[in-house]
Amino acid sequence: MVLTGVCPAEPKGVDMSSRDCTGCNEYLELSRRQFLKASGIGAVALSAPAWLPRVAYAGDACTDRDIVVAIFLRGAADGLTLCVPHADPLYYSARPTLSVPPPDSLDPNRCTDLNGYFGLPPVMTPLLPAYQAGHLCIVHAVGSPSGSRSHFDAMRFMEVGKIGDPNLITGWLGRHLATSAPLSVNPVLRGIGIGYGLQQALEGGPFTLPIPDMDNFDLVGDPVTRAARRLALSDMYNAGTEPLKTSAQNTQLTIDFLNAIDFNGYIPAGGAVYPNHTFGYALRSTAALIKAEVGVEAVAIDLPGWDTHAFQGIWQGGAMWELMNPLALGLAAFHADIFAGNGRNVTVVVMSEFGRRLLENGSDGTDHGHGNCMFVIGNHINGGQVLTQWPGLDQGQLFQGRDLEVTYDWRDILGEIVQHRLQNPNLATIFPGFTPTFRGVTTACRGDMNCDKVVNTDDVAPFVGAVMDPEAFDGKSGCGAINGDMNNDGAVDGRDIQPFVKRVLGS
Amino acid sequence: MSWLEALSNGIERFAESDRAVGDALSRRKWLLAGAAAALGTATKSKAAPPVSHTRWLINRITMGWTPEEQLLADTLGYHGYLEYHLNYTAIDDSALNARLAPYWLLNAPPYYLHGFNASIPTNQLCQATFLRATYSKRQLFERMVEFWTDHLNIDIKKADNPWIKLVDDREVIRTHALGNFRDLIIASARSPSMLEYLDNADSVVGNPNENYARELMELHTMGVSGGYTQQDVVEVARAFTGWTVDQTDTQTKSTFRFDALAHDTGSKVVLGQTIPAGGGYGDAIQVIDIIMAHPSTANFIARKLCERFYSYSPPQSLINSVGATFTATNGDIKSMLRTLFLNANPATAPVKLKRPFHLVISALRAAKANVGGSPEALTTQLRQQLQAAGHEPFQWGTPDGYPDKLEHWSGLVIARWNFAAALMKDSIADITTDVEILLAGAVTADQVADKINEVICGGTLTAVERNRIRDYLSPGIPTKAKKAEAVALAISAPSFQWY
Repeated sequence: MVLTGVCPAEPKGVDMSSRDCTGCNEYLELSRRQFLKASGIGAVALSAPAWLPRVAYAGDACTDRDIVVAIFLRGAADGLTLCVPHADPLYYSARPTLSVPPPDSLDPNRCTDLNGYFGLPPVMTPLLPAYQAGHLCIVHAVGSPSGSRSHFDAMRFMEVGKIGDPNLITGWLGRHLATSAPLSVNPVLRGIGIGYGLQQALEGGPFTLPIPDMDNFDLVGDPVTRAARRLALSDMYNAGTEPLKTSAQNTQLTIDFLNAIDFNGYIPAGGAVYPNHTFGYALRSTAALIKAEVGVEAVAIDLPGWDTHAFQGIWQGGAMWELMNPLALGLAAFHADIFAGNGRNVTVVVMSEFGRRLLENGSDGTDHGHGNCMFVIGNHINGGQVLTQWPGLDQGQLFQGRDLEVTYDWRDILGEIVQHRLQNPNLATIFPGFTPTFRGVTTACRGDMNCDKVVNTDDVAPFVGAVMDPEAFDGKSGCGAINGDMNNDGAVDGRDIQPFVKRVLGS
Repeated sequence: MSWLEALSNGIERFAESDRAVGDALSRRKWLLAGAAAALGTATKSKAAPPVSHTRWLINRITMGWTPEEQLLADTLGYHGYLEYHLNYTAIDDSALNARLAPYWLLNAPPYYLHGFNASIPTNQLCQATFLRATYSKRQLFERMVEFWTDHLNIDIKKADNPWIKLVDDREVIRTHALGNFRDLIIASARSPSMLEYLDNADSVVGNPNENYARELMELHTMGVSGGYTQQDVVEVARAFTGWTVDQTDTQTKSTFRFDALAHDTGSKVVLGQTIPAGGGYGDAIQVIDIIMAHPSTANFIARKLCERFYSYSPPQSLINSVGATFTATNGDIKSMLRTLFLNANPATAPVKLKRPFHLVISALRAAKANVGGSPEALTTQLRQQLQAAGHEPFQWGTPDGYPDKLEHWSGLVIARWNFAAALMKDSIADITTDVEILLAGAVTADQVADKINEVICGGTLTAVERNRIRDYLSPGIPTKAKKAEAVALAISAPSFQWY
């Protein structure tokens, strides 16, 4: 049985006819590491031939370490509009004017169904290709259990990764960078916060800077004296105090680093068209940076303005529409650009500090609420689903009788991404005082039957057990039988044997 | 007799050589001296307080050190200089007023402002803000305008604010910046600018809008941990229903209006106190008075003042002193500042990082820049410089105002360097400098470096910085362009970023 070139069966019943077949049998391809080993080149990245796919290409879910792009929708985005619970009639009774009609209505503004219960409003439908490709997972009724309805407290808790601790100022991404080895040997810029001040999520990260515009980062003034002036600044700051000393050193290195990248001439892949919006521009620059393969590991991007207390405007031209539009178009373009072909090792996560009240107010807006949704996009993300433990919208099911309840902690989602996609096991440092429960937002490491992050002969015996009796395997091993679904057809059976053997031998 | 002369005559009354700042004895002595002065019986005292203390005070209560301010402070002494700036209405500001005179919209009523392209009132407000911060002799007043502009932040982009933030700046912020805090909050609550920014203008009985009610308590008065509940937010929102903005196309357009029909007349319970049913406009005033009397308000405002004017993490004892003054004076802002600066210890006060606006204005002041511009302009390159640093006036989107946190502003140093380079190259339109006049008399690299240290930095360049600037100017006799670049290096130097 030869599987090369054969599209795997479609999981979750979605139409994937447009999918590039050669790109999806990732487990059949040699990973770069495997190639280097086999060819005797050794693990010296610079000696690799130019035609060889570089490390940033997606390979396998076990060992790929992703670049993370963390997007914050500041102001508390209304998750009940971003991803509509159209099958819940209480949604419609609570939102007489601010609701998106169900998919089976004849209203031209009706939502597009995702799974029979949730749907996307018209303005968010550019995300459908990512969803249908299995790359986009929407998590619902997720958020911070703190219960704070203060934007500023809630944002801080989310970004530092802990609730209520005023003394913790470093962020979850900053501590991720601080507790993981750099992706590149001589790191210059590991974290970028697109903006004027660093996002708190990135605080504490080594080699991290806020940069408003990556294509415009240089010292102005007389070009003839620029080098001498830079040298003088360098000398003065090297003798100065922190934190400016480190900022200045990072800045000096970054000037050269960014000037070597042609942002202006960047041509996106996959037919991607970024929206003409600061958010689109930020994502386009991020894509160019990722493809330049210069070792950037974490990018934080803000999309502010979601505090829609009055005239929320979910239809074309309205306030929230004007934010959803660049959000959806931007993410769709980034998805097309980054995940074209084999795709890159990138995970995108979108969050907001809390959701908005179920009941709309008297000024056509919504006040501060609680539970919300998150969007997660990646090659090894369990996409094509709305992942939720939906609490319901009945009075008794609402948080404090008024807001969508939080059933998944936001750190469950981020923690799983950190451990499985960023390959950083230091969750106790990154989310202090909290043990994330993984909810299945990331895909399994295929072939890793004992969950030790590698696929080797130790997996053979458990693999056989899983194929013989998947349910019994699940019950006793603690490591899902689904890891043995080598051909991605949703079942663990005899058809997985050959790819499993190849995988074990290959590693 | 000018203010300066009057104060010069009384220098000795205020000067105390043995003053240990923060020492209650010293404070009592000063109060006694002040009382004696009021009675016309000046007490004799010794020499002036240490220069370093007056320098610290200048750094804290002005938009940037200048040799002129140092001379004034040394002449008046620490206390005299503080009182001089607190009593701001007595300071002659005619030179600034002459610069502001062409900006004809600054005193216009809101309906009149609506007759213009929104960019024009916005730009006149921005330009006035730059001119006042740079050239006003009422420097502490301008620092307080900056403080309250952050505290009662309004994003000029939202609703009608491109036109009417100018009115809020004039009638709320500048009217009460050194007045009474309760008056300030009532003026802000009634301000069409704020009513639109935080949506209270659209809040109606039945299903009120909670936006303003929450931020009034969280950000303007009590603080997020001040002890209010979600139910208090709802009750305060109910009390404020009907506080709205006139939208008629008449001469009252964009002024405050109470809409009795939109007001919730039921009884409310705010922070445990009942506001009886049947009320109207006064319900919200009662809310403000309940909030004013809550101890969290005194503590929160005291903390914020201490964070701005003393250090990022001020000692609780200082906060308590300022808070006690808030309570004793029912929110008198001058009294709170007086307590703060008489109880603060300059000798041990940690430095703070200048935010970009502060850096820009302090550089314009130090370099004796001439800021021009047209009242008809839609924007300026100076605004663009601040935009590039993330600190353009009135542009912060969320109601917490531009942060005053070290970690927020310490990353983007390149914007600081670029501003300095552009300023001294005279490449910011409408702003000129004259390095030859600024550094008059300095010829050699050593002399120029020393002169820069003296006039731009007041002698605060470190030896490394000073010598590095000298080396930049060497070898030979530096050209005018080289001298200008050296000034830019001094403005870019680490020590110039702190205050």
